[in-house]
Amino acid sequence: MNYYNRFETGKYLRLTALLAALFAAPMAGADILIKNARLITGTDQGTLLNASVRVASGLITGMNPSSDDETATEVVDASGAYVTTGFFDSATTVGTADIGGGIRNRDYTVREADMGAGFQISLAINRYSSLIPMMRVQGVTRALVRPDAGNNIFAGQSALINLGNAQPIVTVTTNAVFVDLRESATRYSGGSRAKAILDLLDALDEAAIYAKNTKAYRAGKLRDFKQSERDLRALVPLLSGAKPLALMIDRAADIETIIGQLQPYPLRLVLIGGREAWKVAAFLAAQNIPVVINPMDNLPSSFDQLGARLDNAALLNRAGVKIALMTEDVYTETRSLVQGAGVAVAYGLDWEDAIKAITVNPAAIWGLPNYGSIAVGRQADLVIWNGDPLEVTSRPVKMMIDGAWVSLTTRQTLLRNRYADLQDTEIPFGYR
Amino acid sequence: MNHTGSTLRGSIFVLLALFLFPATSIAEHFDKNPFPSTYQASTAADTAIVGAHILTGDGGEIESGYVIIRQGLITAIGTGQIPASEAPVSQIIDGSNQWLTPGIIDVHSHLGNYAAPGYAAHSDGNEATSPVTAEVWTEHSVWPQDPQFPLALAGGVTTLQILPGSANLIGGRSVVLKNVSSRTVQGMKFPNAAYGLKMACGENPKRVYGSKGSGPSTRMGNVAGYRKSWIKAASYKAKWEKYDQELTAFLAAENAEKTEQDGKDDKNDTKEPTKPERDLELDTLAGVLAGEIRVHNHCYRADEMAQMIDISKEFGYQITSFQHAVEAYKIADLLAENGICSAMWADWTRFKLESFDGIDENIALVDKAGACAIVHSDSPWGIQRLNQEAAKAMAAGNRMGMALTRAHAMQWLSLNPAKSLGIDDRTGSIALNKMADLVLWTADPFSVYSRAGKVMIDGVLVYDLSTGLKPVTDFELGLRVREL
Repeated sequence: MNYYNRFETGKYLRLTALLAALFAAPMAGADILIKNARLITGTDQGTLLNASVRVASGLITGMNPSSDDETATEVVDASGAYVTTGFFDSATTVGTADIGGGIRNRDYTVREADMGAGFQISLAINRYSSLIPMMRVQGVTRALVRPDAGNNIFAGQSALINLGNAQPIVTVTTNAVFVDLRESATRYSGGSRAKAILDLLDALDEAAIYAKNTKAYRAGKLRDFKQSERDLRALVPLLSGAKPLALMIDRAADIETIIGQLQPYPLRLVLIGGREAWKVAAFLAAQNIPVVINPMDNLPSSFDQLGARLDNAALLNRAGVKIALMTEDVYTETRSLVQGAGVAVAYGLDWEDAIKAITVNPAAIWGLPNYGSIAVGRQADLVIWNGDPLEVTSRPVKMMIDGAWVSLTTRQTLLRNRYADLQDTEIPFGYR
Repeated sequence: MNHTGSTLRGSIFVLLALFLFPATSIAEHFDKNPFPSTYQASTAADTAIVGAHILTGDGGEIESGYVIIRQGLITAIGTGQIPASEAPVSQIIDGSNQWLTPGIIDVHSHLGNYAAPGYAAHSDGNEATSPVTAEVWTEHSVWPQDPQFPLALAGGVTTLQILPGSANLIGGRSVVLKNVSSRTVQGMKFPNAAYGLKMACGENPKRVYGSKGSGPSTRMGNVAGYRKSWIKAASYKAKWEKYDQELTAFLAAENAEKTEQDGKDDKNDTKEPTKPERDLELDTLAGVLAGEIRVHNHCYRADEMAQMIDISKEFGYQITSFQHAVEAYKIADLLAENGICSAMWADWTRFKLESFDGIDENIALVDKAGACAIVHSDSPWGIQRLNQEAAKAMAAGNRMGMALTRAHAMQWLSLNPAKSLGIDDRTGSIALNKMADLVLWTADPFSVYSRAGKVMIDGVLVYDLSTGLKPVTDFELGLRVREL
């Protein structure tokens, strides 16, 4: 097999070292031009061929500039390759657990104590996690890190991060409150989802009273509240729509009931999961409620998700619902966001709309006005691909976050290099 | 390719084992197949698929060719047009702009024994009441109405092995099924497929029994457990062999007595031997030692796989496959040398500590070493997209400079899994006289945008995207259809 000889560990390591040195170079003031790109803008401009994009100080400063190649500090020829915005995963737990199971610390959830909306996942995010580069090699540059309900229907407050090297990676510490109203969460509400809904309404009412009467609350003049003060403080910004309330619901009837019950409150709602959302697509479109989907989950795993199907994304999009995609699980998140987008396309979602579901749509849903598309003034999260970005065979070849190149080497790369040549008996594995 | 060599070595080993342990005759003393397959394909019209891009599943590729199916079997394959010499067929399927492959074979599934919806009432995969439950047969847990079977069919899976879970050191027998709609499990069973035995290394058994306080609670406890079981199995096997020899001698003596009846009055003084008491657990383990049952060993870490290989040599059995084999790339040479297949995920890692070192190049590196590589799912989600998983693995190999083709990588989904299940003489590639288990894909199956357009099992069209033909399980009626 001649492919043996094509690969030389040493050569590869040298290349890796060279690239690492390149990435470590200070980027402040650098002026980078990526030219000959098949640019997926995510704006009305759609796809631009033979296009160029210019980056300085972390932002996109020019598109298709005609004559200023010479003034750029660095010119990268994409040779016709796809260039996209770095993708956004709308629900992961990256940085809050090192592995899925068998360990005690899974910082995205509180299982052995009671804490509600006040729980703040951002405090546990490890920016040095080796999972972060593993997400980058999938083309992901930004993510929402979500809490998981552990002992309370309120999972807590999510955070927004970028996956770059620059501190801080947490860009929004508390961007939404997640509440779990699925069948699986009824154990936190005495066994019935009806009580779960009433608990949610009670909590919002308490937050409203607390907001109006904070002094009296602190002076102990109000009745005892079920929510702690920390929880109440997290709920207050929801009441004005300043922050979204993320509703984890799958069953179609629950989507209708819960959203109906929440009508009196001027909330900004985001539906998370929505396995059966396609059944109530018109209702969601009319209410202008976006849906965050795991596009590869079509299993009737519970009675809540009997209607789960792979064209959920396509059906919702067609009905005019804004959709975003998530990987959802702790150990799948590093690998399946783009595959999920590709699967959604195979099941009827328009290709450009699939790209939007992992770029501009989450930017709009989660409130990142400056990220998500390739346009002058936007944050420069750019990825050069070796093929169609949604193909399972494609990978990023170069990536920048906020205008700075980032490494695409992972711990997995190092393991691969160590064991690439089992015939070599000279150097013991531990010294490779 | 090298896989042939590996299988050959495997066969020699089995032959050697049979030689060392004189041919067992347990078969003659009780029914070894009390739950026989009742699967019978319905009559399929003689069919030709023409103009398709064919990946034959054994490494071959025809850019535009035809396949002819008569009475459920593949009777002709070729490039270009059907030759005039071919007898007419009653049905022609236009495969132009589509890709034809063998049906995908998943060697690791829990469809039916962990059926959807996933409630405790459907948790039938792990008999986690004792670390060794070789006596259980997972076919007795499989629910043929599991709504996940049709989803796997829509992903092009025509044959699948259902394994017991990995809670136990020795979890019980597997069953090989055709992915067909049936009221009974017997109606799904792949005719005359060998049984498999599920064994498990590492974290799962020691976690399950460590937490029960009964043990094993360590990896060394795991190994002691396997060895104790094989010692019992060897002695059980010897007991039956002794019985068989004594019975043969007794019958011979009786015969002799009959023929000499007239002459003398001396009686047959060979005593009729007492039939040993059957033990369901040891029946299965002795079946492994006799080379009749294949060992499919759940094992993640390279060092543990090496230990398991030594245990197999100590007791004289062959490990057919390591399941999951997340670190197979670290010992791919050893796996090739011992003729052991590795059934792997394309990119699963980090979901527990023993999967920490999973890499995307695992499958490609195992293949490169000349060992038998298989893409498996162990997942009701993954089983729907095994073609995409193979595509990822191929791309990972090519990114490190290999030149893996689609034709080559297709073997990870068809011929190699068929070999590991011992059914490669009947399915697993598009070859003459094999079962017409076929998938006609809407596009290159190594693309995320491709879907199974038509699926045939034994030449019968069981799924058709263009007409909406698909099985609907009883469970789904009135629940999943859009009309209600």
